[in-house]
Amino acid sequence: MSESNGSETILRYRRTPRIIHAVLATSFLILLFTGLALVWGPLAFIAAGGWSRYLHRIAAIGFMLVPVLYVVFDRKSAKEILVDSFKYDSDDVAWFKKMYRYTLGRTAEMPPQGRLNAGQKLHHSAVIVFSSFIVITGIIMWAFKSSLSAEMLSWTAMIHDLSMLALALLLVGHIFFTYVYQAWSSMATGYVPKEDMELEHSKWVEELEHEGAENTSA
Amino acid sequence: MARVELDITRRQFFGAGLAGAAVIGAGNSPLAMRYPDPPWFATGEVTTTYNYCDMCPWKCGIAVQSVDGKVLKVDGNINDPKSRGMLCGRGQGGVSFMYDPDRLQSPMIRTGERGEGKFREVTWEEALDYTAEKILAIKEQYGPESLAIFGHTTGDFWFTDYFAQAWGTPNAGKPSSSLCLSPRDEACNLTLGYPVGGHEPMDWDEIECVTFIGSHVGEDSRNTVMQDFIDARERGAQIIVVDPRFSTAAAKADHWLPIKPGTDTALLLAWVNVLIEENLFDREYIDQYAVGYEELEAHVKDLTPEWASTITDLPADQIRETARVMGQRHPKAAIMPGRHTTWYGNDSQRMRTVFIINSLLGAYGRHGGMYFDKSPFIDSYPHPPFAVTGSAGGCSAEPGEEVSDELPLGPSGKARADGARETFLRGATAMQELIDPMITDDPYRIAGLIVYGVNLLNSIPMPSRTIEALKKLDFILAVDVLPQEHIAWADVVLPEATFLERYDELSTVPYKTPFIQMREPAVAPLYDTKPGWMMARELGLRVGLDAYFKWETVEEYLDTRLRSVGSSLEKMHDAGGVIIQEGKPYLEDFGDESPFHTPSGKIELFSDELAEAGFDPIPVFEPTEEPPDGYFRLLYGRAPLHTFAKTQNTPVLSDVYPENELWINEDEAASLGYENGDRVWLENEAGDRTGPISVKATQRIRKDAVFMAHGFGQQSDGLTNANGRGASDTKMMSRYKLDPISGGAGMRINFVRLVEGG
Amino acid sequence: MTSAFLLDMSRCIGCEACVVACKTGNELPVGRQYIELIEHTSGTFPNLTGGFQNQRCYHCSDATCVAVCPTGALFKDDGLTRLNRDDCSGCGYCVQSCPYGVPKMSDGRSSKCDACASNVGGGGSPWCVTTCPGKALKYGDRDEILAEAHERVDAIKARYPNAQVYGETQAGGLGLILVLPDDPETLNIPADPPPTPASADLWKNWVQPISVGSTAVTVVGLGVLGVIARRNHVAEMEEIEARKAAAMAGGDAERGGDDV
Repeated sequence: MSESNGSETILRYRRTPRIIHAVLATSFLILLFTGLALVWGPLAFIAAGGWSRYLHRIAAIGFMLVPVLYVVFDRKSAKEILVDSFKYDSDDVAWFKKMYRYTLGRTAEMPPQGRLNAGQKLHHSAVIVFSSFIVITGIIMWAFKSSLSAEMLSWTAMIHDLSMLALALLLVGHIFFTYVYQAWSSMATGYVPKEDMELEHSKWVEELEHEGAENTSA
Repeated sequence: MARVELDITRRQFFGAGLAGAAVIGAGNSPLAMRYPDPPWFATGEVTTTYNYCDMCPWKCGIAVQSVDGKVLKVDGNINDPKSRGMLCGRGQGGVSFMYDPDRLQSPMIRTGERGEGKFREVTWEEALDYTAEKILAIKEQYGPESLAIFGHTTGDFWFTDYFAQAWGTPNAGKPSSSLCLSPRDEACNLTLGYPVGGHEPMDWDEIECVTFIGSHVGEDSRNTVMQDFIDARERGAQIIVVDPRFSTAAAKADHWLPIKPGTDTALLLAWVNVLIEENLFDREYIDQYAVGYEELEAHVKDLTPEWASTITDLPADQIRETARVMGQRHPKAAIMPGRHTTWYGNDSQRMRTVFIINSLLGAYGRHGGMYFDKSPFIDSYPHPPFAVTGSAGGCSAEPGEEVSDELPLGPSGKARADGARETFLRGATAMQELIDPMITDDPYRIAGLIVYGVNLLNSIPMPSRTIEALKKLDFILAVDVLPQEHIAWADVVLPEATFLERYDELSTVPYKTPFIQMREPAVAPLYDTKPGWMMARELGLRVGLDAYFKWETVEEYLDTRLRSVGSSLEKMHDAGGVIIQEGKPYLEDFGDESPFHTPSGKIELFSDELAEAGFDPIPVFEPTEEPPDGYFRLLYGRAPLHTFAKTQNTPVLSDVYPENELWINEDEAASLGYENGDRVWLENEAGDRTGPISVKATQRIRKDAVFMAHGFGQQSDGLTNANGRGASDTKMMSRYKLDPISGGAGMRINFVRLVEGG
Repeated sequence: MTSAFLLDMSRCIGCEACVVACKTGNELPVGRQYIELIEHTSGTFPNLTGGFQNQRCYHCSDATCVAVCPTGALFKDDGLTRLNRDDCSGCGYCVQSCPYGVPKMSDGRSSKCDACASNVGGGGSPWCVTTCPGKALKYGDRDEILAEAHERVDAIKARYPNAQVYGETQAGGLGLILVLPDDPETLNIPADPPPTPASADLWKNWVQPISVGSTAVTVVGLGVLGVIARRNHVAEMEEIEARKAAAMAGGDAERGGDDV
């Protein structure tokens, strides 16, 4: 535990996952923008003639590297994300039922949540699923485009674009909740106010306290 | 016609490398080479000028569009009887020809050895003064006849015709005579008393059967002929094509005769046989207008289709049937005289047979047959009598000119040095026969040469002999637009402004409706170039020919001429660029006068003149040498986007058709181990080689011959697009056979084989 | 009224005047041509037939290139398929999808015949049509062109028993009507090009607009909601702080302090 601005904070994200998140965020935004240039007339001039298309592919490599970076540099976090994101308990179900309250900024009366609340779990799993779609269709269009028929090409592009739509909407939601709950510091410094955690992720705080001295300082 | 594909491929990406963003950016910048927007005609006021195209000698009337001093488009002039608003691909390339970055830009005088191509740029004054000095010295030492003048393209009048005659040299020639039309025109002179003339006067609007011997319409891309041919064909005219190759014309024919090369005269004589035997000719017409029929009938008695069949490799039935197709439609049937007829050295006799057949068909002066050309009326600009009468001939020779027995003599009493009357009977100056005198001084020394526009080393056969001559000459002046291969051998080079940048002599076109065309500049000459008329004039003033150049400006010259027909440059422009007059195309227009200017006043099926000169008075088939084992006869012709050896460097034309291909029978190629697209070299019997050229393995050609478009395989560092592209038929011509009647050079007697590597 | 070209292949003499007129009039760069002539031959010597395939844009009504173009750079106008290169992102889907293999990449963008839109718009004629010495090309009202095409087919039936009109119904009706001397396969032209896949239509006319719409709605909606939710959360946090303070004060009061 450390002090900042007079309130107690907890370490939520270590440096490695924060860096990987930065890689993910940066490459995603580049991919979004350069991808948009391919399908939106007013931005077409960036794509035609080539530089944004190469940037798209460079960023795509970054994007595809994210799971690899996790596996190579922080296997613990990787496992944690996968386990946490796909395991739901009865509290999560109850949380979903009351989600409209959380969306409107009220944490009171939300069922107790673990490290990731139900919404965050859904967000993670959706991002993983749609990212897989987008990567697969992206690779097809990058390496095998010329062997696609007109029909296959439009289906592949459609899945790619729809996946991007989903991810973009998820991003909007992601920023929404980050803003409402002022969670910027989790990625900026890795530390979050303990008070907020007790309110929103009480089961996780309990777990941490049981784990003992490593996470706290006198 | 290669496919061109531009794709951004993965290869480009990986090649650039992940770190190559700067390289990628520079090469594919959206700022580079953007398609023009707005289009050129919306960028300013469009000015239209009239011109006659120079991209081939056909001279279609064109309308030239320019904006702000830049020429942007050329199209056919709708008022012009030749183009009628349409234009072929080469004409469309005229703008590109003008803006060819390889153009000669400044007068030059040679500094290194002949052939090295080392020059220094000089002023016009220096170049012209030096030229005048040198040719006056030649005149002083050897006589004016010692200066030869070779010229071609549509500006050749000033040097090859006007200056030559004023100066006094009979040794002025155009490749379009003895390397092209001479056998045709002399055969026509002998038979009908006039040359065929600039173009073939077929009465296309009503003709019902057209026969082509070798003429490859479409591939030779002659605007008016393509229009007329397609219209006539669609109207239902029967088309017969005789060609060892399944040409574009053959593909549109009702009958294709894949004749063995060199045997056309046998086919033609058999046709005469059938027309007479089956009474399919115009007896009344022959009775009234021709002499020598009895002799002809006797002559062809045994020359049956069966006889011709073994010679020509054609089924006798086909020979008979096609004769019937023609005969049944007389007089609205004719054999197209063609243009390039210098094939085997016996070509005048072959052409005589063609004209005999046309006469039997009763075509001359009849509707739907062959009409009579008439020259337009217009006065020349007055000048003193010429020092010698010209005999350069060429594509625009005026029909109806009398050919006298006596050869014109120059001021020091010398006649042409090309062997006229000695090695050949009659006709225009035989250019290729002037090369030997340059080397041997026999019959007299030819010490100087002016070359206007001719691609010397890619048109005259036996180019190594030409090089020898170039080494021996005292003085060589080259006037040209591009640094063609021979430029490196000149002593003085004068760069000409292209046809789009200058005025020029009026084009007077003998025709069914004779007409006059104008050439007016669209823009001022680029670089330090000048029009040919100006060079001829400036040179003339320096060598004592002031009397022939009394006009100050060429506008004055042209206006004076136009005044005689009630016009002027301005009026002519306002009237749409052409002046059209009435013709005299049919027999009924002649009344009692005979349109046939032969000694008898009639069509001479039997030629007394030939008999007296010791030639066959009626054509006899003479076989030609066969290719030895392992060799093919080299046939050459045209590609639709190129003219002779002139256009291979023109950027837009080179872009679409950069190289010629070697047509070879597919099965023959396979047996030699070659496939379509393989690169090969050719070697002639003398061991000369040319290449590499792409193999076009096709069913469209006989097994005993190969074919390529003429004019490729040029070697000149200054020609970015033409240099080293394709193979050169000229370089394979280590020999030719002189036609003893017309002086034409038969060039299809060279044999080649396919080899690897140069 | 829509416009169309007529191309009479029985008249085409393969001179390539159209190729050069188009290149020059449209100021196309080196290496690019909108029209390509390809020679065809069938049979064995000496029993041969032959002609030319004119590879050029067929201006399909049901234009697959237009359907797959994500930016709308390719569009239909007056029956012809136009291309606004400024809007082209160079994605290359049109190059892939055209059943006739017409669009090509050039200078990073798609490029193809746009039927000389500026020329025709100003009262002129497409460059190829003006120059053709075989008079094989015409341009005008599609109904008139179709009628003429049928007339021409009848006129050439004697020479070409298999003559036919091509383009009346192919690809929804072509803006380039051909008079063919024989079956299209003889000139390497697909007899019936595949129709635009429904997926292309779905993607461009439904998925894309809905994507844009839903993103916009979400951004705006969550923007507004964000302001509201943030205020709620701040209020909630203040309330919690107040309750905590009150609880502490209450505790102090029990201890009996009077500094509250």
